[in-house]
Amino acid sequence: MNRNYIFLTILMIVLAVGTLMLKPAKQLKQIEPETLLKEIVQPTRYISTDEVAKRLIQGDPSLLLVDVRSEAEFEKYSLPRSLNIPTEKLMADDNLSYFGVPGTKVVFVSNDDIKADQTWVLTKRLGFNSTYVMKGGLNCWMETIIDPVEPSPDAEETEFKTYSFRKGAQMYFTGAQVDDFNDSKVEVQVRRKEKTSVASGGC
Amino acid sequence: MGPLIPNGIIGGGWDFVIAILLGVAFGFILEASGFSSSRNITGVFYGYNFVVLRVFFTALIVAMVGLMYFDYFGWLDLSKIFILPTYVTPMIFGGVVMGLGFILGGFCPGTSFTAIAIGKLDALLFTIGLYIGIFIFSLGYPLIEGFYNSGNLGNVTLTDVTGIPAAWFALAFTVVALAAFWGTMIIEKRVRKNMKEYKF
Amino acid sequence: MKNTMDNQPKYINPYLGGVLLGLLIIATVFITGRGLGASGAIKSSVVTTANTISPEGTKENAYMGQFVSDDHSPMYTWLVFESLGVFLGGLLSGIIFGRVKKFRTDHGPKITSRKRLIFALIGGALFGIGSQFGRGCTSGAALSGSATFALGGVIVMFSIFGTGYILAYFFRKLWI
Repeated sequence: MNRNYIFLTILMIVLAVGTLMLKPAKQLKQIEPETLLKEIVQPTRYISTDEVAKRLIQGDPSLLLVDVRSEAEFEKYSLPRSLNIPTEKLMADDNLSYFGVPGTKVVFVSNDDIKADQTWVLTKRLGFNSTYVMKGGLNCWMETIIDPVEPSPDAEETEFKTYSFRKGAQMYFTGAQVDDFNDSKVEVQVRRKEKTSVASGGC
Repeated sequence: MGPLIPNGIIGGGWDFVIAILLGVAFGFILEASGFSSSRNITGVFYGYNFVVLRVFFTALIVAMVGLMYFDYFGWLDLSKIFILPTYVTPMIFGGVVMGLGFILGGFCPGTSFTAIAIGKLDALLFTIGLYIGIFIFSLGYPLIEGFYNSGNLGNVTLTDVTGIPAAWFALAFTVVALAAFWGTMIIEKRVRKNMKEYKF
Repeated sequence: MKNTMDNQPKYINPYLGGVLLGLLIIATVFITGRGLGASGAIKSSVVTTANTISPEGTKENAYMGQFVSDDHSPMYTWLVFESLGVFLGGLLSGIIFGRVKKFRTDHGPKITSRKRLIFALIGGALFGIGSQFGRGCTSGAALSGSATFALGGVIVMFSIFGTGYILAYFFRKLWI
């Protein structure tokens, strides 16, 4: 009986001393620069505005839109069901807990690609997977979804398909107030391209 | 990976099923260890039965050390679990009142539930007492609200307050607990020689 | 086999019980993100009773009001279900080890059952009041709190057991 207890006592002390060795290993856990570079070079992090619109219309619960612009900009205009985490506040509060949730895709949104891309690099650096960037940002959203351009009559069939989807999405996101839209309170700067651009054109 | 429910790996609907299952395991361990008898429990204060100290501190060090390993292997994110908030003076006061209640009543809430299950009337009275006590507290709350909320440090851990890594606390608790186990074994033997009527 | 089961309660080895309890705490934290508890269930039933007798009074009470919600009963909480499990678990163990018997009272050799019951009631009331100040009892605050390295848990643990040892001498007639 006593011998067993001596054995258990030693085992417990060894286990407890073992915890002292654990800490340093954990602090080294970070992404390798090479890996990060590979991820940055690849365009797989981009999600098109069409894809975002489709998922929003379908009500995809795995999609989490994170708007990285300032609070003031976010209040003026934002995508439906999007969450405002300005890049400056990424590390503040519990904001990081939104990322890395299994089964959820986080898509960063800003006016163009740049701020969203920077935030994406930060989250990659912090070791989060499944974060994405909405290609072209809200400017592209305005051009392609809110105000789509009709393709020229001699364009390919796929372009018309894209266009009709965008028209439908436009109705969905702007509702009955399609005409009111341009003179309403929305003040996001939209850099409009020439009217000749085709619907399938990327941003 | 863990904690499973806050991370959404187990859906909210399973919450109460899991609650009952974990409770059954908890109750079983308490009863099987002998916590359903107030005389076994209070033995820890008089040296004739250290079962409380043994079970409590073994559980404490196993959980402390185990959680450290779970965190290390990435199974559980210790930064995401609930940390009891600290209210220094109310907690010391509460602990003192509970200590007095413990020595008078001979149970603590969890153990009294298991003791009722096997038919102990004193446990039933203890639970009724708990009910009355909490009722009195609720009625008197407006008078003591200020004290109740004083000394708030937030949800802090020992590491937050002292800056010493948690592993050192785990080791310290382990060493003290193991020393206590060996020491109490000797005390218990001596005290029990003089006690004839208590059944072990 | 002459009544040996009755005279010798068979308990499991306390260290085995402790290891199992420790693993259970890890499992609970792993699954739910928080520890075990017991006094919270009594608090829920107090709020429920008060809410049934006088809904307005309960909502106005600054303490109980915070546990009342319009969409479900105050009994519909995690700790109530867990405590129900504790009762069932105790019953299960009692049946397996043959300890479930008719109602009886444990008391020290120098006091009567009646006195023991009165002290149990007083002790329970004090424990109830203390558990509210301590934000939990021995299982919720002292054990689960300390196991997760919470400062509050350690404070509660040392004050409960410290007070117990200081006062033990004065109440020795109750137990030995």
